[in-house]
Formats: sequence, C-alpha cells, structure tokens
Amino acid sequence: MIEVKNLTFSYDKDKQALHGLDFTVEDGEIFGFLGPNGSGKSTTQKILTGILKGHGGKVSLFGQDISAAHTQEFFQKIGVLFEFPYLYANLSAVDNLKYFSSFYPKEQLRGIEEVLEELEFKADFLKKPVSSYSKGMRQRASMARALISNPKLLFLDEPTSGLDPSGAVLFRKIIEKERKKGTTVFLTTHNMLDADLLCSRVAFIADGEIKALDTPRSLKEQGSNHCVVIDYLYQGRREEKIIGVSELEAGIPFVHDEIIRIHSQEPTLEDIFIQYTGRGLS
Amino acid sequence: MFKSLCFLLKKDCRMMVSGKFFLMSLGFLVLYTLYVNFGYIKFMNASLYNVYLYDPEGTQTTVSTLVQQVSSKEALDAVLLDDTNGVGIDASSGQPQLVFYKGTQNADRHRADYALSLLQPSGNDSAELIGCHTPEQKARKEITCELLFFEIAAVGFLGIAAVLFKEKSMGVIRVHAILPLQKNLFILSKLAIFLLSDLAFAILLTVLNVGLADTASILPAVLLQTALLSLIMALTGLVCALLLKDFRQFTLAYLFIAIFVATPVFLSANTAVKLDWISFHPFYHIYMGLKNAYFGTPSHRVVYYLGCLAAIAVLLAGVQRVFQREMGKEG
Repeated sequence: MIEVKNLTFSYDKDKQALHGLDFTVEDGEIFGFLGPNGSGKSTTQKILTGILKGHGGKVSLFGQDISAAHTQEFFQKIGVLFEFPYLYANLSAVDNLKYFSSFYPKEQLRGIEEVLEELEFKADFLKKPVSSYSKGMRQRASMARALISNPKLLFLDEPTSGLDPSGAVLFRKIIEKERKKGTTVFLTTHNMLDADLLCSRVAFIADGEIKALDTPRSLKEQGSNHCVVIDYLYQGRREEKIIGVSELEAGIPFVHDEIIRIHSQEPTLEDIFIQYTGRGLS
Repeated sequence: MFKSLCFLLKKDCRMMVSGKFFLMSLGFLVLYTLYVNFGYIKFMNASLYNVYLYDPEGTQTTVSTLVQQVSSKEALDAVLLDDTNGVGIDASSGQPQLVFYKGTQNADRHRADYALSLLQPSGNDSAELIGCHTPEQKARKEITCELLFFEIAAVGFLGIAAVLFKEKSMGVIRVHAILPLQKNLFILSKLAIFLLSDLAFAILLTVLNVGLADTASILPAVLLQTALLSLIMALTGLVCALLLKDFRQFTLAYLFIAIFVATPVFLSANTAVKLDWISFHPFYHIYMGLKNAYFGTPSHRVVYYLGCLAAIAVLLAGVQRVFQREMGKEG
C-alpha cells in the first residue's frame, strides 16, 4: 500500500526534517508511526497525503509513484484525521459532514447518521454548531469526516486525543473494525497504549530517522530480561522473588504457601522507545 | 468540477451570512444612499453663505432671490450675530457696504465676491458649456463613484479577509488539501462570490443614487471597472489574510491600504491638491477608470486593461503560492 525508500525532506536549506526514511505498509495493516514532537511524524504524513511537496527519495502509494498518485482518485481513496479537529465551527456536525462528503462520489459514501451513531455521537448535538461541542465531540465529528468516504487508506494523527477513556476504547474498536474491513491504517501517535493495542507494526522515529521498526511484541521481547516477579506468602510473610522464565518450566523453584501474583518483567513500548531513541515521547 | 464549485460557493455563502457580510453590505448601501440623497446633495445644493441686505431706500434693483432683506441696521447686526458665517450688505447710504465677521483671508474674499455677485445675479456669464450633466447629477455621480471605490477597496477587502481568517483559525483550509477537488476551486469560489456581491452592490448603489435612466447608459462600463477593482482587492485581501498571522496584523495592512493608498487617490482626483507622482499610483488609474465610466467616458487604453490583467495574474499566482503554504502548515 505504501512504500517509502530513502525519504528526505528539508523545510529550509539548513533544516533537514527527514534523513532517509525506509518503510513499507502492507494492505490491511495498522502501521504505527511513533515519535516525539518535532521528530518528523507529521512531515512524513503530509508528504504521504500530498500536502507537502519537494521531498527526496522514492515514495509510492497504491502501487504508483507519489507524483502520479496525488490525483482526485487518490484523494477519494484516503481518509485523514488531523491532530486537531478541523471543522467549520458555525456549522453543525451533520452540515460539516454533508459539506465535506459532497466532494466524494455518492456511491462511495456512508450514511452520515450511521457513522455518527457508530461514534456514539450525542443525538442532541447533531444540529447544534460545532462551536458548542466539547473536545471529545469535536474529535468524534472529525473522525466521522475521515470515515464517511469509506477510505482504503486511513491516516490517523493522535486519534484518541481529547477523548475520555471510554471514548478511547470506542475509537480503538472502530479502528480495529476498519482494519478488519481491509482498510490500511497509518497511525501517527505519542500514545503507546494505542500503538501497543492496535498496531501490527510500529516504527520509532526520532530526529527524522527511523530508529526501530517491528511488531510491538517483538520490540518488547527484544528489550525484555526474560524474568518474572513472583509475589508469594510463606509462613504468614509476604515475599517477592525474581527468577528467569526458563526456571519456571519445572514449576515454582522455591518453597511457598501461596502465590499472590506473577508479573512478567516485560518492558512497555515506551521503555523500548526510550531505549532506542534516548528520550521519551512527550 | 462544476459540482465541486457549487458546493464551495454554497459553503462560502453560508460563511458570509454567518459573518453578517451581506447584512453589513446592505447596511452600507442604505447608509450611503441616505447620505447621498439626504445629506450630500442637499449640502452641495445649499447656498454657500447666507447674505442679508439692509436697503431702506431700495437702491439695489437686481437683487437675487437668495438674498434676505432685513428691516433695520440693528436687525442686520442681530442676524449676523446669530449667523457668524453670513454676509451683511448695508446699502442705506446708496453704496453697498459689506459687514461680516472676520474669517480667513481667502474665505473672506470669497464671501465678499459671492455676496456682491448676488446683487447682480444676471451679470455677464461667459462660461462655455462643456457637458450636459446638471450640477446635481454630476455631484451624484462623483459621490457614488467615491463611495463605490471606498466600499470595494476598503470594506470589501476587509470582508474577504475576515471570512478567510475565520476559516484559517478553524484550520479547515488544511482539510481542503486532502479532499478530492481541484485546490484552485477554493480560491475561485471566494473570488466569484465576492465579485458577484460587489457587482450587485455597484448596480444597486448606482441605481439608487444616480437614477435609473442614467444608470442604463453607464452600467456596462461601471461594472467592468468594478469587476477589475473587485478582483484586485479580493486577491490582495486573500494574500494578506493567508500571509499574515492574525487579524491584528491584518488591520495594520488594512490601515496602510486605507490611509496611504486611498487617501492620495481621493485627494488628487477630487480636490485641488496636485501630486506630481500620482500617475505612478496604480489605484489612481483604477479610480479614474471608475470615475470616467460614471461620466460616460470609459477608458479605452489597452495599456490600462493590460496592466489590470497583469496585476490580477500576479496576485492570483501569489494567492496560489500562499494557499499551498497554508495547507502545509502545522496545526
């Protein structure tokens, strides 16, 4: 779906934002692009969506070179959720969706009410202007805009930002549902939980370079010390022991009365990110 | 493409309605019309100074009807005390003597000449007749032209920038970058709607203030000049709104245009002030183009029209460039 080879980009002569990125995104994959602010995530997404021009290297989308790909047909096949909910504040969610969807072929479109219902949009707000919406409601209306054209390739920038925990869970379910439909998702985020739960593969980007690219599980395994922490009771006292996973194969290798919990020492995706890039995501 | 343009036009109309642009234009139309019909024309028609005559012997036989007779010297003094701009003529000695409160030297000379001229209103008039406009119709055309120029150059320019700043602040310009539509249609739609709105304003303003009969003969030329000015101002407004960070910065640009661009043009075209360099001022030519159209002598100079088209082309290229830049900006 997306093939990027040696992608470079400079805003000014002295300010190179991307230093030769290489990655591919397969059809029907959720690909996570993780990096701190200013790492080159948005620049990459803007190049892929045709907003920024003048890059170096080779980029192809839908099997076509990017210069030939950015046609009206291309824009009909993509959906983009921006980092901020860009909507007409004086129009309602329904009127915004009516307007933005009017540029797509009718046969491609989903029903406005159907999409908003899927996003659990409050019915009372359907006809009210966006200016009266909360951050979460705006994010839902923006997501509806990205989904309404049934895109084959979905670019999502911080999809769960501004949502409460139940909203974030709902959005993750919807993204997963899109993947099951065959939609390819390019997910740009700081949110490690989103990346961990949703992405087939993730790329860590920092200072315009990809530092690591693999499945979240592999990345975590690579950084793991393969130990478990066992919390147990023995003669009325609560104790804790760290042992290697291989030692567990023959059973618990020490005397105990009761096992309270066994916790793997597996690092989080954020730990791995810091390990690779030397800094956190925020 | 046509369908996309229609959707954009519909949306821009809604934006302008919600921004009360049409209401504002209507308000200005009413205000200008009231000003022209009940203010400016009456003011232009008013006698320059009231002239009072005390002539107990009736020595002055050819006095204009504009002169007001008073019955005594005391009455003359009393009326001049109230009307300090007025001019008194005391003809009680047989010879007219002027009485008035001192003002500036030039104005006093003018007041004296005017007052004395009213004693012989049918005096020799050797002026050559060079036009068929009545003074009122001439004044109507002049002021309508000035107001239309001001409306498009200042108010319309502000309007298009306000609409665009609104869209810019909402970030929706960036959304258009990923929609399946020709990006230039976004600009074209705005130009079309402001052009149509300016043309409608020009028609109404001209009909209401110049009169239907005269409007019919001058309208095509007036609309052509209005269209040129409207496109230039709308494109300038778009460039400024896309280039400048916020509305505060824009108001500075607006002040610059309103004060330093429009003022010399008005001064040079409508007053005795002569500026040697005014022929290098592009807006002077546009204003004169509009004025000539109102007076039925539209410009046929190819250079002028080529200049306007070149300005429109350059501004359009500038708008496209800054529009691309705006679409690629961070949130």
